[in-house]
Amino acid sequence: MPIGAVELPSRGHWAPSFAIPRGRSSPSPITKTKSPAEFFAENKNIAGFDNPGKSLYTTVRELVENSLDSAESISELPVVEITIEEIGKSKFNSMIGLVDRERVDTKLYDDYETEKARERRLAKEARAQELQAKNAALGKKVKEPSATKGAKGRGEASFYRVTCKDNGKGMPHDDIPNMFGRVLSGTKYGLKQTRGKFGLGAKMALIWSKMSTGLPIEISSSMRSHNFISFCKLDIDIHRNIPHVHLHEKRENKDRWHGAEIQVVIEGNWTTYRSKILHYMRQMAVITPYAQFLFKFVSEVAEKNVTIRFSRRTDVMPPVPVETKHHPSSVDLLLIKGLIAETSKGTLLQFLQHEFVNIGKSLAERLIGEMGPEFSPKMAVKSLTSQQIVRIHQLFRQAKFDDPSGGCLSPAGEYNLRLGIIKELHPDMVATYSGSAQVFEGHPFIVEAGVSVGGKDVKQGLNIFRFANRIPLLFEQGGDVVTRTAMKRINWSSYKINQTQDKIGVFVSIVSTKIPFKGTGKEYIGDDTKEIASAVKVRHCPLVLKFFVTNLTSKLTTSFLQSAIQQCCIQLKSKIVRKIQDREQQERKRNLSRYVPDATYAVYDVLKEISKFHASKKRRYEEEEEDVLRKVQSRSITKETLKEMLAQYVEKVDYEMALEYATQSGVNEEPREAIYIQALEDGYNFTDLHSSNFVFRFIQ
Amino acid sequence: MADKKLKQKRRRPDPTSDDESELPFKNILKPDQAILETLKQLFLAATTTTTAAANGASTSSSSSKPLTLSDLSLSATCREVTDLSLSAVQSTIETLILQIARSILAGNGFSFQVPSRASSNQLYVPELDRIVLKDKTTLRPFASLSTVRKSTITVKILSLIHQLCLRNIHVTKRDLFYTDVKLFQDQTQSDAVLDDVACILGCTRSSLNVIAAEKGVVVGRLIFSDNGDMIDCTKMGMGGKAIPPNIDRVGDMQSDAMFILLVEKDAAYIRLAEDRFYNRFPCIIVTAKGQPDVATRLFLRKMKMELKLPVLALVDSDPYGLKILSVYGCGSKNMSYDSANLTTPDIKWLGIRPSDLDKYKIPEQCRLPMTEQDIKTGKDLLEEDFVKKNPGWVEELNLMVKTKQKAEIQALSSFGFQYLSEVYLPLKLQQKDWL
Repeated sequence: MPIGAVELPSRGHWAPSFAIPRGRSSPSPITKTKSPAEFFAENKNIAGFDNPGKSLYTTVRELVENSLDSAESISELPVVEITIEEIGKSKFNSMIGLVDRERVDTKLYDDYETEKARERRLAKEARAQELQAKNAALGKKVKEPSATKGAKGRGEASFYRVTCKDNGKGMPHDDIPNMFGRVLSGTKYGLKQTRGKFGLGAKMALIWSKMSTGLPIEISSSMRSHNFISFCKLDIDIHRNIPHVHLHEKRENKDRWHGAEIQVVIEGNWTTYRSKILHYMRQMAVITPYAQFLFKFVSEVAEKNVTIRFSRRTDVMPPVPVETKHHPSSVDLLLIKGLIAETSKGTLLQFLQHEFVNIGKSLAERLIGEMGPEFSPKMAVKSLTSQQIVRIHQLFRQAKFDDPSGGCLSPAGEYNLRLGIIKELHPDMVATYSGSAQVFEGHPFIVEAGVSVGGKDVKQGLNIFRFANRIPLLFEQGGDVVTRTAMKRINWSSYKINQTQDKIGVFVSIVSTKIPFKGTGKEYIGDDTKEIASAVKVRHCPLVLKFFVTNLTSKLTTSFLQSAIQQCCIQLKSKIVRKIQDREQQERKRNLSRYVPDATYAVYDVLKEISKFHASKKRRYEEEEEDVLRKVQSRSITKETLKEMLAQYVEKVDYEMALEYATQSGVNEEPREAIYIQALEDGYNFTDLHSSNFVFRFIQ
Repeated sequence: MADKKLKQKRRRPDPTSDDESELPFKNILKPDQAILETLKQLFLAATTTTTAAANGASTSSSSSKPLTLSDLSLSATCREVTDLSLSAVQSTIETLILQIARSILAGNGFSFQVPSRASSNQLYVPELDRIVLKDKTTLRPFASLSTVRKSTITVKILSLIHQLCLRNIHVTKRDLFYTDVKLFQDQTQSDAVLDDVACILGCTRSSLNVIAAEKGVVVGRLIFSDNGDMIDCTKMGMGGKAIPPNIDRVGDMQSDAMFILLVEKDAAYIRLAEDRFYNRFPCIIVTAKGQPDVATRLFLRKMKMELKLPVLALVDSDPYGLKILSVYGCGSKNMSYDSANLTTPDIKWLGIRPSDLDKYKIPEQCRLPMTEQDIKTGKDLLEEDFVKKNPGWVEELNLMVKTKQKAEIQALSSFGFQYLSEVYLPLKLQQKDWL
């Protein structure tokens, strides 16, 4: 299928019908209509399902982001548990009811070991063992022999059960099959900053599971008002793009749980994507410090197991982003047509006034006047011809409108960003900065930045953390504008930060109703059929994202980005300078004393030479100099004398300087930071000890 | 202007005369005799002006040098160093060390007054056509974290130089560095302090008996004595004679050359040496392979002063080529304290000049676009006084910055490897095309 020829739209107007001719060169009269599910099954790389490893990663992040959105939508502090369970081949076979067969014709297989190869391997192993024995005999520390890399042939696929449980909104019982089992069946979306809505992500995971394991997805869900849990087991009929429900029932809800739990079995590759997944979780914890994550990897091999808890650090949640109308300068032709088709307003005047931001009544009238004689305020908006719409579009491009406000955005917040950084990195120093809302092409955006120095598990040099609409971006870091700005446009040394030696963390979070992603047609997958023309989504920009690189946008945002990072650096500089001064104070004496011997020996060497020649009275010296030379000759002045005198002097100077420093700087304390104590869960008995001022409360 | 020249058949005994059409501009070359005539004029002009200047000077004052710093009444006092004898260096060091020792014994530590060699302390003197050092000094106390290392290294270097004086030997900068690697850490530090020490003592670096490794080479019509051995630079093979690092042992220069050709790069130098360019047009060819070292600059000055030959420079057509030219001519900022001994006045820019790129139709693919850094360097150079004083240079540099193109000497090789020696240089000389 010539997908290369299909220009993927950069906003959400996905052509509703998937009528794609079979061949480009010889268009056959019979065109096959592809179901959207089929389309995505064949082009799964668009959604980040390029290979098993990446599919595992994408599945995890889709599920996590869904969970966060779901919890935030009902203003609940998110609690997300994600478990990846490795399933061995035989276990997998038994799950799908396949009998494990022993290999009979061993030569048939790719990983068959010939006689020669076997001999070579055995010899090598013997040598290694010998060496090890020798080392052990010598008492050297022996490195554990690395687990022999299992002959993982191509045929040896790894399967994983990914489970994600949240405390979110849940889903209405009857909607569940369609929400999962039909691609491009989302509800109508407005213009909104969004991490992603319940859309393609989970469905792609389902398609991937269907393709790689054939096992259905299991969904449990309950809404706040419900007293039951909906359980649904389904897969998708890819050709017809309809859900295929195995089981759909209501179960008892004992714990009054609300939220969703999704379980999917897919092919994946933990070994290669382990670090990506863990990075993702960590960065997610940085940008959402108000959420609690429990990440578990369970394997048959116990030492491979991973359990990480990212605990909550704050109760403050950013506000839910508000849906907003389009800004006239950001719309395109198709979008205007879409809006006209949808609008409930009758006249052109009303349409302009109500479907866009920053167009008031008087401006709408002026605009209509400018459009030309064939336009009038009272004309029915649905009667506009294509040419007339083009005229409106042209005018929108040229006319001047007020900038949209950033009120519809929900930035992570300087406070949360700071907490997230402190919580996950434990840096020595951190500075954060939040810019005011800016506008690009009719879309508001906010840049927030943080810079940290030092910390736990941070490598030396620049560590860049990028977030777009509060989700971490992990791939294609090199081309990213944040990376480039941090590496090239920030002069770190002028802030007393050593770009290669210090552990620097750079955090940049950009929120917008439209993130100017750049990529190879993979940025975006439309999420709706025809009603919508404008879902501006970020999450479905799968992970191969380049993040505005060279276009105009980058120029504009770069300057904000640069200034945001610089603001952080300026804050840090004063701290760093002070720290350096403190350290200098402490180490001054030691550093000065270190050079005393070198300096005095050099002086003494010359003195000795002079005194030798002085004996022969070659040159006349002043009286005091004579005196010194005589003393050198009579050895009443030696190396040691000079050394002692200089050392005394150093001591004196050090004392004076320390005194001066103390009087200048005074006693200064670091600003205090509030600590966060996590709320205890219910179900404890306490013993209280009361005093007049306070209460001690002990858990029994 | 090249086309307006009278066209004449080449009569040089050369077997390659049938491929004339291949080498552009070859047909307008006059016979060598004619070119030699023009060179003779140049030669005569150079010798007469110098002798005239010398005569003029000798009549007005007793000194034979044309102009010195002390002759000018400059508003800012400037610092200049002189060649000092070994014993003088020794006694200056001794006085300094005794001062330090007394200061230490008195319980006051010690510190140095070091003449600042920062660019803010440099001054271009148009009358002298070179950069000189102003009189600002910085204090280098032992009892400060920022200078403790440097002051210790300074004492150490002083003591090492003192030893050299006592023993009357020469060592290289590298030797000096290896006496205490732990303290110096890397050679740039000991080298920098060495220049500081020269400034403090008020002597040239060569009077400290510390030399740099040989870098420059010379070939051509020159005979001189190096440490007592007579050297004939026409008989030095292709590589030429390495320029001796201690200039004080060089003497008895004789030459029948008509000019000195200063070449920026080794590659062009080898081409000219192999083609024995100096036999076709009697000259002395010198290169320092990039930025010139002290020895090469001293040597060039000595040649210029003793032989009174005009100096023509062949450098790349980029800002760095001009910069190298300026170092020969006006001195480097780092060594400005000794610019009087290191600079060679009146160097002519023969090529390759930005205007040559079009004049000699150098193909596009051989020209390189200037990087942002190049352009910035070029613009900075335009602000420098030593460029401003020569309107021809300003024009050329403006052209370079405007076209944003640079070319190396090797760009001429696109017309054949020998184009440089066969056509380009003879033509340039014939047309007196230097600035």
